[in-house]
Amino acid sequence: MSIMDYNGSAMVAMKGKNCVAIAADTRLSQQLCTISQNMQKVFKVNDRCLFGLAGLATDVATYSKELKMKTNMYKLTENRDIKASTFTDLVATSLYEKRFGPYFVVPVVAGLDDKGDGEYEPVIASYDYIGCKEQSYFACAGTSQSFLYGVCESFYKEDMNPDELFEAVSQSLLAAMDRDSLAGWGATVYVLTPTEIIVKNIKTRQD
Amino acid sequence: MDFGNDLDFLDQPEFGEPDFFTKAPIELMGPTLGLDIHQNEADFEEADINEDIGEIKSEGFCFKLAPDECPSEFARSLKHLGPKLADFKHGTTTLAFEYQDGIIVAVDARATQGAFIASNKVRKVIEINEYLLGTMAGGAADCQFWERYLAMQCRIYELRNSEKISIAAASKILADICYSYRGYGLSMGTMVAGSDLKKGAQLFYVDNDATRVRGQLFSVGSGSPFAYGVLDTNYKWDLTTEEAIALGIRAISSATHKDSASGGVVRVYHVNNQGGWTKIHDQLDVNEDHYKFENSKGLRGDGKEGFGKLKL
Amino acid sequence: MSTDFSLTTFTEQGILPQVVYSLKAVDNGDNSIGIKAKNGVVIATEKSSTILVDEDSYHKVQNISDTIGCTYAGIGPDYYSVIKKARKDCLKYEQIYRDKISVYLLAKNLAELMQEYTQAGGRRPFGVSMLLAGIDHDGPRLYQVEPSGAFHSYKATALGKNSPNAENFLEKRYEDDLELEDAIQIALLTMKEGFEGEMNETNIEIGVVSTEDKNFRVLTQQEVKDYLKEAE
Repeated sequence: MSIMDYNGSAMVAMKGKNCVAIAADTRLSQQLCTISQNMQKVFKVNDRCLFGLAGLATDVATYSKELKMKTNMYKLTENRDIKASTFTDLVATSLYEKRFGPYFVVPVVAGLDDKGDGEYEPVIASYDYIGCKEQSYFACAGTSQSFLYGVCESFYKEDMNPDELFEAVSQSLLAAMDRDSLAGWGATVYVLTPTEIIVKNIKTRQD
Repeated sequence: MDFGNDLDFLDQPEFGEPDFFTKAPIELMGPTLGLDIHQNEADFEEADINEDIGEIKSEGFCFKLAPDECPSEFARSLKHLGPKLADFKHGTTTLAFEYQDGIIVAVDARATQGAFIASNKVRKVIEINEYLLGTMAGGAADCQFWERYLAMQCRIYELRNSEKISIAAASKILADICYSYRGYGLSMGTMVAGSDLKKGAQLFYVDNDATRVRGQLFSVGSGSPFAYGVLDTNYKWDLTTEEAIALGIRAISSATHKDSASGGVVRVYHVNNQGGWTKIHDQLDVNEDHYKFENSKGLRGDGKEGFGKLKL
Repeated sequence: MSTDFSLTTFTEQGILPQVVYSLKAVDNGDNSIGIKAKNGVVIATEKSSTILVDEDSYHKVQNISDTIGCTYAGIGPDYYSVIKKARKDCLKYEQIYRDKISVYLLAKNLAELMQEYTQAGGRRPFGVSMLLAGIDHDGPRLYQVEPSGAFHSYKATALGKNSPNAENFLEKRYEDDLELEDAIQIALLTMKEGFEGEMNETNIEIGVVSTEDKNFRVLTQQEVKDYLKEAE
């Protein structure tokens, strides 16, 4: 079993119209044995940007703190919140910093870039564990990654509103987790809109 | 191998089903399987393993070996040669226990290949015949094949001796097979539960090391530690059948909750003391059972009590 | 006094003479002017050299990055040392964030460098004050960085020999909603005040950045000539 699969996770982010969503399961396990169903895998950068970390739980904890530190430093030195698109590059750079002793995490970033006039550009990015950035309509990570790509492909539509986006992300995650023994045990969906961050726990299978 | 001319039975829809083995006319089956039904020696002799020729002849079957210098070595190295291919072992929780009114057999239904859930509706109780049940853990194909073969041997015994085989003897047939294939990578952890009129319900544990033990309570598979936890806490000999069934379901549900490789539905069988078994639950969703149980304790069931809203 | 001990030590009056002298070096320098308009920034400087130097061979207004430009007053060679560090900072920032560095952050980085040289052992302060011009996420920005390590954002400022007079002039002429074109004119008029000799396209240099394309650009001699004609 790969070290990436040691703790198990399912993570997906998707673009909508003027909104983005990111969702992750809440399971923490040691290989086959589940330890907790309350693990936080999605973290907030600011009101316009969230990121999730899939992979080895100990590195998720450490790397999330490192990114928090970096974004806090950014805010202090620049007197402004980091833009989501800028954050995606910061993540890539900081992962590559550890090219020869990497964190075993796969980040997913979801955010909104302010374009002015009340328009927001949704930003989604996913990476490999040493910082190769990829931007698309949706991003998937974790032990369920391959299943998620399949279901997202069919659930994704262009220009979804927050409600449709929530539904698409939730259904994608639930369907993928049903085929992944290492992910599940509860899930949380975060929908990012210009005015608020909607957080919802979704009911999942418990086996 | 000479199959004779009459292969019609191959087209019958029930070919391969347990009933087919137990009720088929042995004269028809014998020659096609290469069995000499008239020979008097015991059929459960040790397998004739001939690595030079490259085959194992046993019990009327002929298993071809790999064209390799050391076929047994090859069979063992399959794990490394094709890790995904040979990784047919599935995580499981199965359990069975004797109590005053027979035996309860309860199993989950998940089949995994690595982390991938291949199915949540697998049948892990094999209905060997109308008085024998076998459970399945380890290699699915090994369990299915040899437990059906066991069904055939039991039928042969019945025809020869005009009486039903004892549970002890039936389980010994399986153990003997395991013994003769030791080192060739068979993978099975099975419980043979059955009932005869002389001794009532009896439970045996048989595995691929040819371990065979009679016992009161067993659980096999990756989820067994969790099932044992529930069973050992609540088990007693004097359980009513209703309580025993509930305990079986509870133990499997709890195990599927904690163990990633177990899940899906619970299937429950009751083996009575009067020489037969009945299916109690064909499929009971462990998820529903989990929420029902947690709710009965006043919990939500998602395990998030006391954590409130996630802090972003 | 050993050389690894700081040259800039306090006097009993609480003054750092080296820093005061470095500011003096700036005040001795050629005049430079910066004006922030509502849609851009202009910086201009005087190029005084003996008649024998080829004026085309060097530039006093330069790009630090595509979007930020600078000029100075003070000691030329120090300017090139500072600009080298500034360019490196821009590229480093872009490497990390794939985003343009803000004028504020660049000014801050340079100020940190300047401050370090007022304190570290074996160093002397820089003999230049820098003017940085660029467009930020919140509009046009004009920063002045001094050898002491102080830096401020300005609406309009002047450096060099004639700076007191120039600042007076700017205070009178500056308006909040200035157009860039008007700002260029004011810059030229300010330069003209107390200019020794005749001002032409070879002895001044102008750099502009507008909110339109956000690129900082040093004006060609022909463009300068045209503006000078307009200013007459």
